[in-house]
Amino acid sequence: MKLLDRSKSTDFAAALAAAGYRVAAPVSDGGLVRIKEWAPGAEIAASEMPLNSMKDFLFPRTEVIGRWTLEGDGFASQDVRPDAPKTAVLFAKPCDAAALAVLDAVFNWDCKDCFYNAKRDAAAVAVLACGSADEHCFCTSVGGSPGEAHGADLLFRPADGGLRMIVEPLTAKGKALADAAGSALSEGQAQADPIARPAERFDPGKASAWLASNFESPLWKELSLPCLGCGACAYACPACHCFDIQDEGSRSESVRCRNWDSCGFGLFTLHAGGHNPRADQSARWRQRMMHKFSYFPQRFGRLACTGCGRCARLCQAGMDIARACARISPRENA
Amino acid sequence: MSGAIGAMRADAAKLLSEGAVKLVLGYCVRGNERYPCFISEAAQAEALDFDQSCRQNLAAYLRKPEVRGRAPLAVVSSPAVCRSLLVLSSESQIRENEVRALAIGPKGYGGILGLGALGAWLKADYPDLVPEQALLDRVAELSAKTAQERAKFWMKEFEKCTRCYACRAACPGCYCERCIVEKNMPQWISSAAAGHGNYAWEVIRAFHQAGRCTGCGACEAACPQGLPLMLLNARLSQDAFEEFGSRPGYELEAKPLIGSWSAEDDGSFIR
Ligand code: SF4
Ligand code: SF4
Ligand code: SF4
Ligand code: SF4
Repeated sequence: MKLLDRSKSTDFAAALAAAGYRVAAPVSDGGLVRIKEWAPGAEIAASEMPLNSMKDFLFPRTEVIGRWTLEGDGFASQDVRPDAPKTAVLFAKPCDAAALAVLDAVFNWDCKDCFYNAKRDAAAVAVLACGSADEHCFCTSVGGSPGEAHGADLLFRPADGGLRMIVEPLTAKGKALADAAGSALSEGQAQADPIARPAERFDPGKASAWLASNFESPLWKELSLPCLGCGACAYACPACHCFDIQDEGSRSESVRCRNWDSCGFGLFTLHAGGHNPRADQSARWRQRMMHKFSYFPQRFGRLACTGCGRCARLCQAGMDIARACARISPRENA
Repeated sequence: MSGAIGAMRADAAKLLSEGAVKLVLGYCVRGNERYPCFISEAAQAEALDFDQSCRQNLAAYLRKPEVRGRAPLAVVSSPAVCRSLLVLSSESQIRENEVRALAIGPKGYGGILGLGALGAWLKADYPDLVPEQALLDRVAELSAKTAQERAKFWMKEFEKCTRCYACRAACPGCYCERCIVEKNMPQWISSAAAGHGNYAWEVIRAFHQAGRCTGCGACEAACPQGLPLMLLNARLSQDAFEEFGSRPGYELEAKPLIGSWSAEDDGSFIR
């Protein structure tokens, strides 16, 4: 079997960079771990849960999707192409890879989004199965598993007590990654480590069923009371995909940007005339739950939450989507 | 501290059972974390807790209509939260009969205090709430650099900002119904999370807190990207004190620094 020594993680990244990949990996950065573009010298924190998800590399927080220049009396439209370099995402989480199906579905729904798809096609995703989970992880409650790599091109399995990883290419893109790794990989035998087993905290089918008939439940006001209406949860989420389009100009040029947006913001649904159909935070937080566990499954046949737990880890107010789901759909044996 | 917490819980239960308040805003412990919690029945008061790691500034909830609509309220208030309550009062955002503080701090429990009594409690027990030395040292270190070096430092930090506005949501002073970044007809500052838009956002957020910030640290604690927002806040607080003698949050009816003007103000910089 193909093996990667954990101590050779940066060699692997360097080999891919030398082979022309832009390498994205969890990197320790001022005490926090983020998925960032890897540069020589950066320490890779392969097993850590990064505070951002790999969606940053497919659907960045801001992206120019149009450009016009002022020429004489009129505007000339400039050709804007997706910025989609060949990219290797290393040591992504299984729950982040699972979220690719959510993004793929929505960005290929009524319109094929060329900006997303160009980046997606240019990206090869290597997942590291999880040997441990924290109290916020709940992939097993939403149909995922810390040992699976749905959506990924290559799977690393932790082995030999964390010293090594077993390398399993799953697609042609994954095989290309392994081939480009050169001497960073070795042939040998290793014993796979046990996979984390986060507790199953709720039944997603029951949650969806409850949501479908409880738009007006008084519970929304109670559940949403701590929420302060920021975008921390949506921006950290690997599956959240709402955006805003803004035109910004200087004297000589106008650009059209696509920026992340969040249903937690009051401005999100504010009409130009002043009316806001989601008038308070309980309506906004209900939307977050409804979209992930009711509307998205109705439309695309899958949940728009993969249980990574980032939203609850980051929320200053202690809002916890898994706790809310457990409240509306307790497991029978719990 | 356990005696103080017991007394605070008993007072919360008393206020609720007497009907003197309809909702108590406090903290609860879940795992290693401290979270805001909202109590409407006396029997739940046992869930209230407090220690130095309760970093959310509960006064921020007073701008939330769903919370405000349930006044009269009691708020578990550290010295920093008490100061924020006084800032909100001096800026006409809250009224005496709407909010009561369950004042609690490192020196113990101060009892149920109306807004009018907070200043005396603070002046007696916490007359000099200044940032911790480590923060002041970092401010001094940064202030000693050249303007170019500082700009470089901040550009690198600001580049991390995703414009999630968790910092704004955490701050009691950020109560504008329509924040400058939400002025979009036309757009006042770029909403793209990059470059000059981020710079403008960060600087404006900090400036709007000059002479109003109570140093609670909730904004920095809320920032998912780890931006060192307290460096900006602390430096601006120093300037506000040195230039204008401003010490926000000690008086019920203080004149807000950025909402007042005096003919004696130094205008020599206007040319
Ligand atoms: S749930 Fe938390 S992170 Fe999300 S909008 Fe509310 S306060 Fe912000
Ligand atoms: S909703 Fe929360 S737990 Fe679910 S995928 Fe998004 S960030 Fe992760
Ligand atoms: S700016 Fe930050 S430290 Fe100052 S009052 Fe607001 S939340 Fe507290
Ligand atoms: S919380 Fe941090 S990342 Fe979010 S807007 Fe404020 S400074 Fe930027």
